Amino acid sequence: MIEKLRSYGIVAVFGLLFVVLALSSPSFLSWQNAANILDQSSILFIMATVLTLCIIAGIFDLSVAATATASAIMTVNAINAFGMVLGVIVGVGFGGVLGLLNGLGIVGTNVNSFIGTLATSFAFRGLGLILCSGGLVGIADKSVADSLRSAFEGKFLGIKGAIYIALIFSAIVGLFLSRTIWGRNVYAVGGNAQAAFLAGIRTNRILISCYVISGIGAGLAGMIYAGRYGSGATNAYSDTIAFTAIAAPVVGGVSVFGGSGSIWRGILGILTFALIGNGLNLLGVDTTYQLTALGLLIFAAVAADQVFRRSRG
Amino acid sequence: MNSSTALVRVHELTKTFGATRAVRSVSLSFTEGEIIGLVGENGAGKSTLAKMMAGVYTADSGTIEFNGSEVSFRSPFEALRTGVAMMAQEIMLVPDATVIENVFLGSTPRRGIFPNRSKMRSDFKELLELTKFELDPDAVVSRLRLADQQKVEILRSLSRNAKLIIMDEPSASLTADEVARLHATIREIARRGVTVLLISHFLEEVLELTTTTIVMRDGEVVKVGPTKDETIDSLVAGMVGRSLETRYFETDSAATHQVRFAAEGLTNTSLHDISFEIHEGEILGLAGLIGAGRTEIARAIFGADALESGSVTLEGEKLSVTSPRDAIKQGIYMIPESRKEEGLILEASISDNMMLSTLKRYRKGGSLSASKLDKRAIELASRVDLRYSKISQSALSLSGGNQQKILFGRAVEVAPKVLIVDEPTRGVDIAAKRAIHQTLLDLAKSGMSILFISSEIEEVLGVCDRVLVIHQGKVQAQFTAPFDQQQVVAAFFGQTSGVKND
Repeated sequence: MIEKLRSYGIVAVFGLLFVVLALSSPSFLSWQNAANILDQSSILFIMATVLTLCIIAGIFDLSVAATATASAIMTVNAINAFGMVLGVIVGVGFGGVLGLLNGLGIVGTNVNSFIGTLATSFAFRGLGLILCSGGLVGIADKSVADSLRSAFEGKFLGIKGAIYIALIFSAIVGLFLSRTIWGRNVYAVGGNAQAAFLAGIRTNRILISCYVISGIGAGLAGMIYAGRYGSGATNAYSDTIAFTAIAAPVVGGVSVFGGSGSIWRGILGILTFALIGNGLNLLGVDTTYQLTALGLLIFAAVAADQVFRRSRG
Repeated sequence: MNSSTALVRVHELTKTFGATRAVRSVSLSFTEGEIIGLVGENGAGKSTLAKMMAGVYTADSGTIEFNGSEVSFRSPFEALRTGVAMMAQEIMLVPDATVIENVFLGSTPRRGIFPNRSKMRSDFKELLELTKFELDPDAVVSRLRLADQQKVEILRSLSRNAKLIIMDEPSASLTADEVARLHATIREIARRGVTVLLISHFLEEVLELTTTTIVMRDGEVVKVGPTKDETIDSLVAGMVGRSLETRYFETDSAATHQVRFAAEGLTNTSLHDISFEIHEGEILGLAGLIGAGRTEIARAIFGADALESGSVTLEGEKLSVTSPRDAIKQGIYMIPESRKEEGLILEASISDNMMLSTLKRYRKGGSLSASKLDKRAIELASRVDLRYSKISQSALSLSGGNQQKILFGRAVEVAPKVLIVDEPTRGVDIAAKRAIHQTLLDLAKSGMSILFISSEIEEVLGVCDRVLVIHQGKVQAQFTAPFDQQQVVAAFFGQTSGVKND
């Protein structure tokens, strides 16, 4: 019973929120509003996906925003150097490489992931600064910039292209996590790394792979930024995005202790945040209250996780 | 202390968890200075009863009287203040703090707002004199061995001037001489008027040490009486509700003369030149004191710890093992010492835990077939006599014995040529223990070579074909069944009197 509450409590909260908003604001249930909510969330979907993965594996990656920022700058530079297709691949790959550096450094030295990625987030942001020589870089070829913008901003079936990229990425990570051996091993490492190691799992590789996927996700976010704005700058993504993305799976019911949860919970967390923001807007509530409401929600989720954990003691 | 006034009186205490009635209407009374043994199979309700008395759980109904007045503890803190201390099964210490800090944690002698360090020192010294423990007050607790950590817990209870100390399996991780010292300590504090409630799976210990014995079964007290009227068989009969043969079965040896596995000159920081062989179908026991190096041998063979020199040969081929993964690939598997910390993923399901090492076998295309995995897990569960309700329930929801059986299920699934089993029966009840022994014998019969580590000498001698006694990182002696228990135990302490029979 309590187990179910922990698992599905947030689904009920989300449903309740949805019904209340639908009843109290006529414009809420419109297709346009739904598309708006999604459009605003594409980057957060990607970020929440990789952080859900990390938390399940028992680690944190605070450097996603910095990695995404550096990738945005790298994408622009690479497009200018190698053209669109190769440029995009290099830009996203750069995110993966930064993730690999995170993984090798943190797993290799056994540093706490929270502190380790906090440190690398400064370094990666600094790397971005170097790559754009301290200023703003833009895609030189106007036609490339236009076609990228239409790819990410242009709408297909009423939804922007970036959303499709985000959802496909989340689905792939989600499928790998739930269906493959690698996925099972991620849960095992997050649940009890020592037991997993003694069971013959290469725990280091599993953890490094999670950092790499996290970096690739951040690389995708960087690519989307470069495409949307035709430029890259050191303020592309603020670290608040990383914090929001950590909070999302927790609100969605993923235990911060690792070893359990699913990707859809991270997405649900982001949708819940979006619903609160959107709903309060539609209801004409001052935006000043939104952050407070969000903060309380996150706290309630963490507290619930702790309480449920204790009750099974 | 022959006063008949009760120190503690519990009346119709009941506690329910979900659908299970863990403790049903239990009434008991203890007098001052009494040593009471509380026995029963795992899940009989012993720990729950104790935890209610110590303020960890609140009773659903019933009353507790302490020194004649009714109390209702809402926290261990309140219980402690009244004079009830409990030493839990799991060590509850601050790992990064020192011994002395842990002993006085929460009751630090103070001078104004500052800790009174000199009083801490002198109090600590007094406690050591009382208990004859040898402990460095400034050692960091996480660096101590389990047995020493437990001593810290005992000292902590004593430092609170507790009138009732509840000990849940205190001797489970102690060596023979440490157990003897613990017993002396218990007698000494009882002489000083402290009542000790001892929960133990070691029936000899209960018979030797206690004045009164309580037997619990299915949440109820089935028997209370003077310990002198009890025998092992009578206690076991009470615990299981039927008379059960407690002596170990004769080993029906499946050992052949074919050498399956050989270790040569294993040496690292805790091992010195360890060599031995295991035959096909043989169960080789590693016996010795805690800290003698038995687990270290297992970990070195399994690739979990590094070797400085020495080699390992399996079926005539020299192996290169640098990680558990290598070992498993080459046919060696280990069930580790601590099922909770090293063996299981507690939150994960029975099925996930059993199949953890062999997922590759169930790959279909890129993905895994959950139904196939579950089906196999159910088969394995019946092979190892696992008691469960759903294969998807978490390992956490099972008793210690059944958790251990999950690990055996995993080992059966891996089907190694050599299986290392480290302390598989620690803290499990008698029925589960017998099931585990049976599994070991079955596996040996199927041709598996087994390296069996246990601190329970009767068990080692009852199950093994051959026993190596390890002492201070070296092979002290080797014995072949039938064993002379006294000779084997003497070797634990480095006394071989020239009996290196092989």
